[in-house]
Amino acid sequence: MSDAKRRPPHDTIRPELHDLDKSAFLEEVHSFEFWFQAVEGYLAETTYGHDPEMAEDPLSDEDRERLIGVLCNYCAGESAALETAAGLVSLAPNRMTKVFLSTQVADEGRHLEVFLHRLGELGVENPESEVAKRASPSMLAFKDKLAELVAGRDWASALFAQNVALESLEFVVFGRHAKTADRVTAQILERVVKDERRHMGFGENELGRYLRDTPDSRSRIHDLRVELDHLVDATLADTVRHLGLPADDQKELGRMYRESIERLGLLG
Amino acid sequence: MADFLNAYSIQNWLESCPQAYLEDTVFGHSSDEHEPDLIMENEVLRHDAIRTTVALVVGERCALAASSGLINAAPDEGSKRFLATQTLDEARHVEVFTQRLYDLGVAKEDLESVIAQHANPNLVKFAELLLEKVDKRDFLAGVVGQNIVLEGMAFSVFEMMHVMNAAMNPKFAHTLQGTIADERRHVGFGENRIGSLVRDNPARKPEIEKMQKEMSYWMLATFSQAFRDTSAVDELERIGQERTHSNYQGADLGKLSTNEMEALLGDTVLKEFKVRLGRIGLDYQSPDRP
Amino acid sequence: MSETQKRTATDPEPPRARFELEDTGFNEVPKKYRKFYRRWSGEKDELAPNEVLCPVCKVVIRSSRELREGDRVYCMPCMSRLVVGRGQGGGLEATVRY
Repeated sequence: MSDAKRRPPHDTIRPELHDLDKSAFLEEVHSFEFWFQAVEGYLAETTYGHDPEMAEDPLSDEDRERLIGVLCNYCAGESAALETAAGLVSLAPNRMTKVFLSTQVADEGRHLEVFLHRLGELGVENPESEVAKRASPSMLAFKDKLAELVAGRDWASALFAQNVALESLEFVVFGRHAKTADRVTAQILERVVKDERRHMGFGENELGRYLRDTPDSRSRIHDLRVELDHLVDATLADTVRHLGLPADDQKELGRMYRESIERLGLLG
Repeated sequence: MADFLNAYSIQNWLESCPQAYLEDTVFGHSSDEHEPDLIMENEVLRHDAIRTTVALVVGERCALAASSGLINAAPDEGSKRFLATQTLDEARHVEVFTQRLYDLGVAKEDLESVIAQHANPNLVKFAELLLEKVDKRDFLAGVVGQNIVLEGMAFSVFEMMHVMNAAMNPKFAHTLQGTIADERRHVGFGENRIGSLVRDNPARKPEIEKMQKEMSYWMLATFSQAFRDTSAVDELERIGQERTHSNYQGADLGKLSTNEMEALLGDTVLKEFKVRLGRIGLDYQSPDRP
Repeated sequence: MSETQKRTATDPEPPRARFELEDTGFNEVPKKYRKFYRRWSGEKDELAPNEVLCPVCKVVIRSSRELREGDRVYCMPCMSRLVVGRGQGGGLEATVRY
């Protein structure tokens, strides 16, 4: 047996990352090890997603109420994402995608937890019941649609709705909100966005490969995209209203959201 | 319940795993640890290690499917979040044991065929029983099957393997040590969360106890075949390599025959089941002997 | 730019500039890969010859050599495979390859 076979190099630092073989790249980025070392970079020393020593910015009652409303909607979205990602594990076609989706399950669970915890920090006594009261109908309808797709065991459709539509939506909304949020909420959102980058990237790439290999499925996913459009638009409108952003921001966020749809050839 | 579930939060998971016992590990062990030459240079021992590791991969794949599936069946957000960390733990176990197969010389392109070739059919039956409950979104039966029966079995198997490997194969022992630490949380959650559900649903007890009895049967059948198939003890004797004299449950594993080891492991797991099930209000059912 | 540039005789003509990459504080991938990425600071962020923007997740991808059309690069933060091309404005642009 060769020495190379006996001693696999676990921690080889390649001089040029981009020379990696495609399958080695995919194996690496979908692994628990990759996730584990990646999140260590931005979650170490944090408690519930932010620096525990960070002082709160003063918030007016109106701003606080508005923030609570937004966070309730985020919680509803993350709860949907947690359940859908968990359902996707059993639908995933191979070990690598199952392992990746398991890391996403933990990410979504973390997001739900940090947002609920933030509601508690803002003085909400029972965050879970507050979420049930305040979550927007469009987000709840989105959640129902995701559950329906997972129950139907349709891998590509559920992947599109969750990892392309919902994750892209969250990526642009959280990123935008982080720019204007109070410091503690901004820290939480910035770290959530780092996770979302993996999720939406996974969704777009995995679905892109699926559409390439099964071109007949394209019209089905396109129809689903059309069906989800009004939910995405309504959720964006709710968020922009809750955040008190100018109406133009809704168009800009919608444009950013549609970039990935366009790259997948699902626009129009 | 909310207070109890705080101990199973993702924040707690982050502080317990990445920032504690998994810190500075690669695939669950130090980066400078390797499979020992004794295994890598002896085809019989290497083959035996592959067969054993395949059983771990099969068990962990089942645990991954079950824990992710149970998230959607969980009745409250706290349980969903704990199961999210468990899903991640199980995926990590699948990965570290799969990596061990690669370390043992299994080519990546041969992975699935090697697993299919060596998968213990009794373990597959065991997994099917559990996943049937999960597919039906039966949270109570699913958690008993997963977090009490499957995790209880894994806990004892890993402990025995850890003891056997501590001196001879520190790399594998370290990998097992991390998985044992994870299993502690899983069995803890199972017991703590499910007790109140059993109390609230007494009519479900007979059906769940029947599942425990059937799963226990397939578990014993798995042990039986695994110890029957092992050739490591004979091979060590043939090459004049003394077995490690490690203590497990008061017995010197270096002196036991494979039959005695099988009986010791089976009895240890079943005793644990009885105690754990009693604590959550279920009556342990003795399985038929395969 | 903090990198030291040097020419090598073995590169095909015209030779590519080589770049010694340093950690830029990007912390979303494992330590050993961090030097290959940096945060993008928006439209006015001027990219170096060894850099290209990931269109999926808006992170700047870096290479240890000057990038040219046809090069393949990986964006680890969003797991994308990309090919470098020339954009309408004349600069390098990456396109996702599924």
